[in-house]
Amino acid sequence: MLFIQVLLCMFFIFLSMNARSQTEMLTVISNDKGAPAELKLSDLKSILLGEKQRWRNGNKISIALMKTSTPAGTYTCKRIYDMSSDELKKFWLALVFEGKADAPQFFNTTSELENFVAENPGAIGITDQPPASADTHIVLIDGKKML
Amino acid sequence: MNMLPPKIPKAGIFYCCFICCSFLLSTKVFSQNTTIKGFADVLTSYDKKASFGFDEQDLFITSQLNDRFSFLGESVFKYEKSSPSNFNVSIERIIVKYNYYGNHNIILGKVHTPINYWNDMYHHGRVFYPTIERPLLFDAEIIPLHTTGVNFQGHDLGNLKFGYDFMVGNGLGSSPVADNDKYKSITAAVHIKPVDNMRIGASFYNDVVSKGATVEGKIINWKVNQQLITGSFAYFGKKFELLAESTTALNHTDTTGTKQTFASYVYTGYKLTQKIIPYIRYDDLHYQDGEILFKKDNTTALVVGLRYQINYLAVVKLEYQHTKQELEGKDDKLTLQVAIGF
Repeated sequence: MLFIQVLLCMFFIFLSMNARSQTEMLTVISNDKGAPAELKLSDLKSILLGEKQRWRNGNKISIALMKTSTPAGTYTCKRIYDMSSDELKKFWLALVFEGKADAPQFFNTTSELENFVAENPGAIGITDQPPASADTHIVLIDGKKML
Repeated sequence: MNMLPPKIPKAGIFYCCFICCSFLLSTKVFSQNTTIKGFADVLTSYDKKASFGFDEQDLFITSQLNDRFSFLGESVFKYEKSSPSNFNVSIERIIVKYNYYGNHNIILGKVHTPINYWNDMYHHGRVFYPTIERPLLFDAEIIPLHTTGVNFQGHDLGNLKFGYDFMVGNGLGSSPVADNDKYKSITAAVHIKPVDNMRIGASFYNDVVSKGATVEGKIINWKVNQQLITGSFAYFGKKFELLAESTTALNHTDTTGTKQTFASYVYTGYKLTQKIIPYIRYDDLHYQDGEILFKKDNTTALVVGLRYQINYLAVVKLEYQHTKQELEGKDDKLTLQVAIGF
């Protein structure tokens, strides 16, 4: 009986750890004709704030994010933008209204986001899953695969 | 047996071509990515009597034409007593932007003159305004709100996130479709963003108003050389907000010499929570005796208000304003505004 209880406890601990890894770990993926293999976190933030419009190869940067209503989107707001979801939406609405940048594309699922990144040269996306497509690659941030 | 390919009628070829062209065209249209957004606000105020009203309805369209070209248009529908329908439509911005390298762009069209932070950032989107109305220097027509011309613009360059605007355009007294004289306005503006959420800027504006030109509905009977020098400081942090701008206007005529006007405002707000922000703004307009281009009316105003951010598309502001004018004396006003984006 005790063995079963311990097993159950371990199972639930494993489940909670797995849930944490899905919502509190982010991966930066890029189209092969986009971001370099590695970026500094400060450069990534600058890109995701619309402060950089093109990659070195001249391709236009397109930003792909999970919707702020998803766990990955919520964590992206907190971890990368240091904003609430409302602040992030207002920030982009203002930037587009000023004519300074194009708004990011927001997605419901990681597969939709990954497809967008795979199909659009210059696209960079933030997801909580490693990429499955051959047309995308993980961008190391300060030498790490996960944020 | 001689196998001949089936004969395809000419009409079939035409229809095939038509369908292919339509498909290609529709693909282009689909990938163009055009969006339409809007802003509006309703308000009620008490100034000796209670009133209800609204300011304007603002529609703005953005469209990515290709990898380098983009378009932004902004149209405003607002009350105009002299119009037969009591409403006017005005084109506030027509911007065709060409991104020629990195963060460097050429902008053609009608823009909000990049002369100070408020005019460059907020335009007609009242949901973004930190107070209900713009600072008094806008209504006093001290700065040129719009310019039609060509603007060379760059932003977020280097570690200080340096930005610049260099604009040549039709000057004061001209219309959006043609200049009224040979003189061109020159706007040169620079800014840096040394830390997150902070922007420090300065600008210079030079123009010549021809004798007989009409500026903001007023006929100018003298040739006026105008220079505007503006300094801005903006910080919108997690808790604290500060926006201070000051413009010195130098208007020169052969008969009056150079007359100076100082127009300034300071806004500060503090976020009690993410949604509740009490704020205060102080405006000061000071004209030198003998000023002939502006309407001389030394004015100070104190604005005290509370902003409640419902979400990123809706904000409620309650505001008290005390104004002291040289010509019209003192005035007190209480206003409640609901500003939205849609």
